[in-house]
Amino acid sequence: MRKSLLETILNPEQLSVRFQPIFRIGDGDNHLHSVEALIRGPRGTHFESALMLFDYVHRKKEEKAVDHSCLAAICAEATKLPRHLRINVNVHAATLEQHPGFLESFRRRLHKHSLSLDRFTIEIVEYAPNCDIPELLATLAALRSEGVRIALDDVGLGQSNYRMMLDCHPEYFKLDSYFVRGLRNDSKRRAVVESVVTFGRALHTAIVAEGMESMEDIALVAEMGVEFAQCNLLCPALPLPDLMASGIIGEPALAFGAAESLAAAAR
Amino acid sequence: MKEKILIVDDDEQLIGAYREYLCNLGYDVDCAMETEEAQTLLTHFEYSLVITDLRLSRLNFGGLELVKFIRDAGLPIRVVVLTAYGWPELKAEAANQGIDAFHRKPMRLSDLARTISVLTGGPHEEIPA
Repeated sequence: MRKSLLETILNPEQLSVRFQPIFRIGDGDNHLHSVEALIRGPRGTHFESALMLFDYVHRKKEEKAVDHSCLAAICAEATKLPRHLRINVNVHAATLEQHPGFLESFRRRLHKHSLSLDRFTIEIVEYAPNCDIPELLATLAALRSEGVRIALDDVGLGQSNYRMMLDCHPEYFKLDSYFVRGLRNDSKRRAVVESVVTFGRALHTAIVAEGMESMEDIALVAEMGVEFAQCNLLCPALPLPDLMASGIIGEPALAFGAAESLAAAAR
Repeated sequence: MKEKILIVDDDEQLIGAYREYLCNLGYDVDCAMETEEAQTLLTHFEYSLVITDLRLSRLNFGGLELVKFIRDAGLPIRVVVLTAYGWPELKAEAANQGIDAFHRKPMRLSDLARTISVLTGGPHEEIPA
């Protein structure tokens, strides 16, 4: 009998992991900063698309169980990454509310794979209005005490609002692609980016801009004070063997050049 | 362009048989075994017609929930209910939700094809079941 889709997803072996590089762009010394681990659903199904996969998971209200399955799949792959490389993982706010359960299970999982907590950045996704803020903040504090960094995903959209930006006080704001696409010719979008950069400076939070579609826009966000860029133009999310073969992961100074070559080849 | 059909049933063998038959008739067929899976597909793809069982698990009548989802979202989709339960009150409730056809299982594949053809206005030639 066919397993339900949820049962399938809860088996980490049915999930695949891709890694998308995040580059430092803001200080004139462009280089690879970290990679974000991104999950794809069961191969050959519509749910291979992350958008559909997590839409389904949200409808099932199974974010916590699926987050643990995703982390299991990511940790198994992350063991093959160079040890100097930082890894970003997405975790739903609802999962982070489990204090101290989340940290303990994350620590056990990393230990099993000989990975250290301080290599990880947790990207908080899909904060819900009924979120238990004290529990969430307790988890974030405990994670930070172990060297984990915190990022707030999709800043400017949905529930990644000013309250979350203040309460979580993350090390990174990830600015959604909606606000940076076509930035050069859009004064309203530039105003949004400027406001997030200003707010980030006040909180000592760095900005990661996502989804730029031209090198001009990457240069512009850098001029505006954005320190990091993550976009398909520089490098799409790749399976680990392809990422390793791309030359992007290696000598930090060479990394950005390799990414530009890859982007040029893609064009 | 091929008509796109979504079949929703928790009986894997049944949806496999429907899929094969309807694909051979030229339809583009997706399948789902539970309400949330179907809702996700309906949110991301455009279907002409949905064939759904009413009972999608031992616990609930998720098919009715799915019909309500389709109608509440204003999706222009024809809905065929195919169920082993012929209770008048269930049929009345399904009708109230705005279904286009209600059939009892088992249903001959050729009859199902005829229903689909009528509802989608497409002249699909029937093949022997």
